[in-house]
Amino acid sequence: MSESNAKKLRERLNNELKRASLDACVKCTICEQSCPVSAVTPLFSGPKFVGPQAERFRDGASVDHSVDYCSSCGTCSVVCPQGVKVAELNSLARAVLKAEHGVPVRDRLITQTTLMGKAMTPVAPIANAVLGNSAARKAMELVMGVAASAPMPTAHGQTLRGWLKKRPAPTKAPTRGQVVFFHGCAGGYFETEAAKCAVEVLEFLGFEVLVPEQGCCGLAEQSNGLFEQASSSVRALVGQLRKPGVGVPIVSTAGSCGGMLKHEAHEILGLDDPDLLDVGRRTRDISEFLMELHDAGDLPTDFAPIAARVPYHQPCQVRSQGIGMPAADLLRLIPKLEVVESGAICCGIAGTYGLKKEKYEIAQAVGKPLFDMVLETNQGVAACDTETCRWQIAKSTGVKTIHPIQLVHQAYGLGRVEGL
Amino acid sequence: MTLRQAQAAGSPAPGARVIVIGAGLAGLSAALRLAQAGRPVTLVTKGAGGLGLSQGTIDILGYAPERVARPLDAVASVASEHPYASLGADAVAASIAWLRDELGPELLVGDPAVNLHLPTAVGSIRPTALAQPSMVAADVVGGRRYAVVGVRQLKDFQADLIAGNLARSTAPDGGPVAAHPAWIDLPARPGEADPTGLTYARAMDDESFADRFADAVHAAAGECDVVVVPAVLGVRRLGVWRQVSERVGRPVAEIALQPPSVPGLRLDRALLAQVKAAGVRVIQGAAAIGCRAEGGRVASVTVAAAGGPRELAASAVVYAPGGFESGALDVDSHGAIRERVFGLPLSASDAFALVGPDFWAPHPLFAVGVLTDADGRPVAGAEPVLSNLYAAGGLLAGAERWCEKSGDGIAVASAVRAADAIIEGSAA
Repeated sequence: MSESNAKKLRERLNNELKRASLDACVKCTICEQSCPVSAVTPLFSGPKFVGPQAERFRDGASVDHSVDYCSSCGTCSVVCPQGVKVAELNSLARAVLKAEHGVPVRDRLITQTTLMGKAMTPVAPIANAVLGNSAARKAMELVMGVAASAPMPTAHGQTLRGWLKKRPAPTKAPTRGQVVFFHGCAGGYFETEAAKCAVEVLEFLGFEVLVPEQGCCGLAEQSNGLFEQASSSVRALVGQLRKPGVGVPIVSTAGSCGGMLKHEAHEILGLDDPDLLDVGRRTRDISEFLMELHDAGDLPTDFAPIAARVPYHQPCQVRSQGIGMPAADLLRLIPKLEVVESGAICCGIAGTYGLKKEKYEIAQAVGKPLFDMVLETNQGVAACDTETCRWQIAKSTGVKTIHPIQLVHQAYGLGRVEGL
Repeated sequence: MTLRQAQAAGSPAPGARVIVIGAGLAGLSAALRLAQAGRPVTLVTKGAGGLGLSQGTIDILGYAPERVARPLDAVASVASEHPYASLGADAVAASIAWLRDELGPELLVGDPAVNLHLPTAVGSIRPTALAQPSMVAADVVGGRRYAVVGVRQLKDFQADLIAGNLARSTAPDGGPVAAHPAWIDLPARPGEADPTGLTYARAMDDESFADRFADAVHAAAGECDVVVVPAVLGVRRLGVWRQVSERVGRPVAEIALQPPSVPGLRLDRALLAQVKAAGVRVIQGAAAIGCRAEGGRVASVTVAAAGGPRELAASAVVYAPGGFESGALDVDSHGAIRERVFGLPLSASDAFALVGPDFWAPHPLFAVGVLTDADGRPVAGAEPVLSNLYAAGGLLAGAERWCEKSGDGIAVASAVRAADAIIEGSAA
């Protein structure tokens, strides 16, 4: 990374974040009480120490490496009652660290989610076999530092675009206007089921669903401190999402990626681009979107009952969007469905954090209360809004973990979740 | 009826909910009370509430200005501008008893009419009405001998200071107090330089660590009637104090530390869990930034969600954002005091005249806040500013809470008043 880039990032750290936000910290420790990482390891001394406290003493020198043990879950900023941008400050400090001291090749590779999807889809069985092979994974850990036991996505032979092209045209004419559907890399390549259910639910409700060609939001690059790459990814995506439908809602099944569009790209990457802000204003998590309809009296709730108890985990990066817990509220409208909120702060994976061999154990310790809760309460299925969190929960518990929209899809009589 | 028609008619829109702003003791209490009465409630909060930073006790009135032994008697004789004057001692007693019974005896015990006198982390004696069962054995009583046991690796609990100050104090009953320090050596996590009480409390959630702690305390404590330890006896697992007391063979009592305060977190988590279990929608990380008023009522509250504002349709609002500490009340560089979300009229507008040169003297600035009618609605003159907007907690004018030790009682009683006014009003 160039020296000028490091200088630019440092200026932002010193000006925007330090001056505007750091002095509002009253050292109340609320962020420390909620940090899921410092709770399980002394290697990360907590958001307050690493952030508002240590930043005052760094005086131009780059931060110590403990900031890289932050998982970027964003909880510290959500719980701060004084409005300090703790997570943003620490993300930027990490970007400065990497700009000044270099980035491991591993961190560059695991952030290339669209590339992985594109490369793996045509050779899905082979790719899955390689990622499922323990010798291959051991080699990956040794060479690249990707933990051998960490969850990896499963490739499918058909992408969402492939499905959209091949399926019969919707028979019902739209009655409610248009929405743009944002599926994220996982919804496009690895976990197309949730995305398909979302399209069918939105069409069932009478919307015309526009699905533009779309790339990666850059969240993984951002949380690895690769701000230049993340900025160009999110800018490209913003252009793609703005193409169809002027001013229509953008509805997302990619829980965390929706947060990137809504606020992280603006607040962490520092992008002020009006197109990004426009997309952020229009973006709704799909459960948030459906609950807005419900509260306005516009959501049909003649759901078929689902007699099951489902543990539900709200990902940290969905919680940080300041929308409450719309997926739990939505699922509770389904008769006989008992929704048990996890109460857990984070599943540990935090995008790519838990994939790294030096952080794998920490991530598993962070997720343990959640895994225990899922194992205790599930009756075959758990629900969660973000892909990597679902893979983490499924890998660590053996419990099938789905997007909440898949339950809504079933309750509208549009399909059936296997195992329910 | 459409949203527009409903608003024009001055009645709440379909889907409107009671919006509670603030997640401190007042906001959580109001939300719980409303939800228990079957009202749809959304609680909106910028961050976590202040209850988790508290000592985990419930103060009613500690100083007036002399130390208070019977808080309800003292509540009955406060000055007329004090929030307790319009609430009344009976309502305060009933509200505090309600909260105690909601949280249950594993979390709060005590009689609202009688103060306990608990040692602090600097060895002073602090009056409070309700405390956690893990604390009450430390009540300072004449003739008792206290062993104060610190942990070498734990910062913020200085056993020598605490025991020294206690030993030179007279108990509230006039008797002498005996206290001596002792120390144990027990790291919570290997290699950690300065763990907080919370790190220890998390370790204590593991029964075997609590046993090791108890054995070390037993060996170190020496001759005493009561063993006093830092408040680290478990955060998820309640009743660790019982396990430790049994193993030590004497009553063991916790002293709250500075934040992160483990007893405060216990109350915060338990109350929030009850609020959620009662069906309240909790929106954290989204500050309330304004409202839309129609026909003299709040029609919706505007919150700053990620990406842009959201309008939450409101049938009524309980505004419990705290006071100066939380930033709900603010003083600018010209000394102008303002309330930041609704721009409510305040009991004073110029800060410069209200702060004296003596730190320990009363500072009238801290008693600045909103004035309300008998139902707790903020008023301009004698009239409510908005007919369905209620205030509770630290925002109310008339009390200097930090030196009176009155903040908890005002919060709970004013929250209950607001909730009950809404419940009764909407039932009628």
